[in-house]
Amino acid sequence: MAGSGLIKHLVAGFKRSLGLHKPGKSLLILPDDIFLVSFPKSGNTWTRFLLANLRFPNEAATWANIDRLIPDPTGTAKRDFDRMPRPRIIKSHECFDPRYPRVINIVRDPRDVVVSQYHYHRKIRKIADDSPIEKFVTRFLAGETCPHGSWGQNIATWLYTSEGNPRFLLLRYEDLIADTPRELAKIATFLQLPVTPEIIAQAVERSSADRMRKLEKEQQHGLYKGSRKDMSFVRAAGAGGWRKDLPAEQAARLETAWGPLMHHLGYELTTRTPREVGEYASLGSATTTPN
Amino acid sequence: MIRRLIAGGKQFFGLHHPGRNLRVFPDDIFLVSYPKSGNTWTRFLIANLVYPEKHPDFANINELIPDPEGLTKRHLEQLPRPRYLKSHQYFDPRYQKIIHIVRDPRDVVLSEYYFDIKRRAIADDFPLEKFVSRFVRGELNHPYGTWGENTATWFYTRGNSSRLLLVTYEALQSDGPRQMEKVAEFIGVPADPDRIAFAIQQSSADRMRELEKKQGHLWSSTKQTRQDKPFVRSAKAGGWKNELSEASISEIESAWGKLMHELGYELAVTSLANAGAGRR
Repeated sequence: MAGSGLIKHLVAGFKRSLGLHKPGKSLLILPDDIFLVSFPKSGNTWTRFLLANLRFPNEAATWANIDRLIPDPTGTAKRDFDRMPRPRIIKSHECFDPRYPRVINIVRDPRDVVVSQYHYHRKIRKIADDSPIEKFVTRFLAGETCPHGSWGQNIATWLYTSEGNPRFLLLRYEDLIADTPRELAKIATFLQLPVTPEIIAQAVERSSADRMRKLEKEQQHGLYKGSRKDMSFVRAAGAGGWRKDLPAEQAARLETAWGPLMHHLGYELTTRTPREVGEYASLGSATTTPN
Repeated sequence: MIRRLIAGGKQFFGLHHPGRNLRVFPDDIFLVSYPKSGNTWTRFLIANLVYPEKHPDFANINELIPDPEGLTKRHLEQLPRPRYLKSHQYFDPRYQKIIHIVRDPRDVVLSEYYFDIKRRAIADDFPLEKFVSRFVRGELNHPYGTWGENTATWFYTRGNSSRLLLVTYEALQSDGPRQMEKVAEFIGVPADPDRIAFAIQQSSADRMRELEKKQGHLWSSTKQTRQDKPFVRSAKAGGWKNELSEASISEIESAWGKLMHELGYELAVTSLANAGAGRR
């Protein structure tokens, strides 16, 4: 260990002693913590805004304060975690973790997730602008587009460990879009948050796609530094865009790999019948890339 | 404060145990199982298959097939590649080559019960039924989730056969040579019958008991435990049929019956329709 490596190591140690480091997997979990869990690009940021506005009605959520209101173990300093009012609501993309005391799991149709992630990777310059979507779908199926497993693996680890668990709330992004106040009321009940219809309406309004887009323009800050300014983070903010944006052969590949799980979650299969893809209980080999 | 400084110093020199923060290499091979599922036996089997010249025993097993929670970060990063690593962790997307050892949870709980007596976590006369309830509710003092949670996260993400090989403890017991042949093929070691027979013989319960007598005080998992109780206990499948009460069997089967059924474990007292699917 010499030169710049040593200096980096020392800086990291210094940051750690002041609590300025991101705790990541070493986050100390408290018994009343609530985790907002989802696979990346499944409406996590929108739900973060909604929850922040529900939990803290006196401080409107923005891109500048969201990491403090609904912190992310890989993006928020340990010091901020220690100072937060409890119970804390914490964002996570992780697969099943038995230490999470209460979980709100947001799932989204993988056909929309893949389109969203494809555009996001173009925005942050991870892939070339003209990179073919077929290639991206191959990597997406193999779980190579993010460090949290494939969509099927990530979802399966949560669904198969939570059946009948009252400390686990499963919500679909599509239902959140279709009737936001109704789904927020479910969350409030789950969290035992004393909210009024006015607070719910305010949270919906303060987290609208229009407001989030407007704020995004005004607050080009840390998180998305270096990414393309001509493409916005808040993109379509809708459900079912894949029908237009994802070629049918690519949708078919996702349905072949994860059909039982998709069908179980109520996502209509367009290229295969539920009989063809098999039962949810015999999911097994269908959760990752076929050979 | 001093503890924090020591921890910081250890971290700086890579002397801490990384556990779930382990740095994973793409060619790592993981031997994954819930605690008390025959992990140590399988470690011996694989160590004898891969490194017969090293004469695996309790003194060097941590070196040959280490546990990321038992060796320092620095040590782990200096091991020869590919590394064979033992793990009790629930699903980790970074593991790319996995041998998953599964054992009937009705036997797992018995094994855990006797091990907890050996390591003085519970008294000799602690009621077994009460222990089973704790086991089902995930109230044992380890961070790996319940048997159902841990097993489900691997089983329902298993994917194609070149990524994960599922081996049950029971099949290893009843049909060792064939199971070991599959293991050898999976990890790319010559599946030669003599080599496999030798590995099985070197890892027999009798030989492991003998080694434990001589070396039990050296091995990290047994050195501070009661020496009047063996670590290598019955080494058999089905002990639950004689030792668990009907209420305990029912408690386990109603929690995880569906998953047990899919793994090929016949339910004794619960109908499948009333059984849970790998939940807490």
